[in-house]
Amino acid sequence: MSAASWPRLRLKRRRNLDEAWRSWLSACPGYVIIGLIYAPIVWLGLMSATSEPLSGIPGDFTGAWYERLFQNTKWVDPLWLSILIAAVVGLASMVCATMVGRALPHMRGRGPVLFAVILPLFVPGVIMGTALFMYFRSFMGLRLGYWSLGLGHFVWAFPFSLLAVLVMASRFDTRLLDAAADLGAGAWERFWHIEFPALRPGIIAAGLFGFLLSFNELSRSIYVGGRKTTLPLYAWAQASSHTSNIPLIYALNTLALVASLILICGAFWALFVRRERA
Amino acid sequence: MSESFGRPPPALQFLRGLAGERHGPVWSFMVLWALVMLVPLVGLVVWSFLTIKGFRVSFDPNVDAYLNLFESGRWSVTVRTLRIAATVTAIELLLALPFALWLAKGTRSNAVRAMTLALLTVPFFLSVAARTIVWRAVLGTKGFVNSALMWLGLIDEPLDWLLFSEFAVHLGLIGPYFPTMVFPIFLAAVMIDDDLLQASRDLGGRSIHTLLHVIIPLVMPGIIAGIVFTFVPMLGADVIPALLGGGHAHLLGNSVHSLLTALNYPVASAMATVILVAMVALLFVLRLLMLRLGGFGEVFEGLRR
Repeated sequence: MSAASWPRLRLKRRRNLDEAWRSWLSACPGYVIIGLIYAPIVWLGLMSATSEPLSGIPGDFTGAWYERLFQNTKWVDPLWLSILIAAVVGLASMVCATMVGRALPHMRGRGPVLFAVILPLFVPGVIMGTALFMYFRSFMGLRLGYWSLGLGHFVWAFPFSLLAVLVMASRFDTRLLDAAADLGAGAWERFWHIEFPALRPGIIAAGLFGFLLSFNELSRSIYVGGRKTTLPLYAWAQASSHTSNIPLIYALNTLALVASLILICGAFWALFVRRERA
Repeated sequence: MSESFGRPPPALQFLRGLAGERHGPVWSFMVLWALVMLVPLVGLVVWSFLTIKGFRVSFDPNVDAYLNLFESGRWSVTVRTLRIAATVTAIELLLALPFALWLAKGTRSNAVRAMTLALLTVPFFLSVAARTIVWRAVLGTKGFVNSALMWLGLIDEPLDWLLFSEFAVHLGLIGPYFPTMVFPIFLAAVMIDDDLLQASRDLGGRSIHTLLHVIIPLVMPGIIAGIVFTFVPMLGADVIPALLGGGHAHLLGNSVHSLLTALNYPVASAMATVILVAMVALLFVLRLLMLRLGGFGEVFEGLRR
């Protein structure tokens, strides 16, 4: 580059400065909103440990609300029900997502199939809940209960689980399976010794995602729950009635959020960190 | 099929079939999926054209339920829902577009990018109700904001429009519906070839021209997808308006709930159908745009990166 072109280059540099979207300034509003997402979680934790949570000012920290929460045992049965349903839904979406996810990248018409499967991501919870309620209760005349909660949660959780498996499955080189077949491995051996280990991070994440989405599900449960009460339904009923139990709900919600966060970290670790190390 | 590794126990025969046959199980799963997912949604639409006489469903198709939607109270709920969802979606787009472009092409640090994407993904798995209820303690008349403003002497008495108002609903919606706007735009922007941007620069395109004539057209499918994924679920928002609207800002989701509680199934399903039709229409627009770029299967190419 000749010396004469230097000033021009300078000019170009300066012009590039007005590429505002490249500068960190354009990222600031986004991080403000991320703050808006996480601040309530931190605030919830602070308020649950504040002696006068309804005053709105955190301070005078105490474990009294947690103590009272553990004396009041009404939330224990809903908790167990939530864990049970979440475990079944997590397992079911893990198995189904593995089955569908390993085949989908190699299928004809995979676009429409993927679309049909991830459709529930766009359908608002009220709509899906209402649709399932009318379908099961009014059209089929069935009694709602554990099974309808499980199905309603599965329809919500499965798309996320599938996407987790697809992240791994779409990178998996199926020629490895052909090679194994040439070396004499049967179908089961090919799956268990080659495909499964390759997809494992996605499969683990699929199970954890399914568990978490079911565990925290509220909008659909309101309609498909029948008379069964899950933990989110219990917290919802308590929060809607203007009772003095609100501080206890803060404490209960904080515990549920912390447990969920720990599981999410596990899922992310399985899906992204471990893979990069391997 | 080779048996060189020994025959698996008979109980595994079924699993073995699944492991060998790739596409068969997918199609049987899709049939079950249609039964618990697509058929109920279609049923919902059918319901909206029926009436209940006494306790029996009458099968003479009519549009009474839809005429009912235009009754004063319900119509205003529909209009309010559309207005609030459109406003919040516009705010999300204004904030998410520069953010997503920066995340895809602006930042040089992979760690920052991965961390930010993780921060945007985590909220999908956390309870919305648990995260929303605490806004009451922040915005209420005795809440943090009012206390702080009074302590600073900016106001003499608490602002009552902070909580149980449309303002609170807007504020409560912005956080939870932000990631669905960022992700599609980010995915579209990440796929832009850096050489294109360089070429635009080399040809003397000012950066504002590069933005308007190269980047924006290329991320347009992402923008449309972001609008669809944000706007449509927001039309059905129920938990946030119920917790923060306090009856002053009921949205369609809340109306569907009260109609169901009142056993008014046809009108409830008509209301739900309106949301579904909006969803299908917007998804159709999205599909047209995606077709121009190679169809929905293109997502697989994106995942492979």
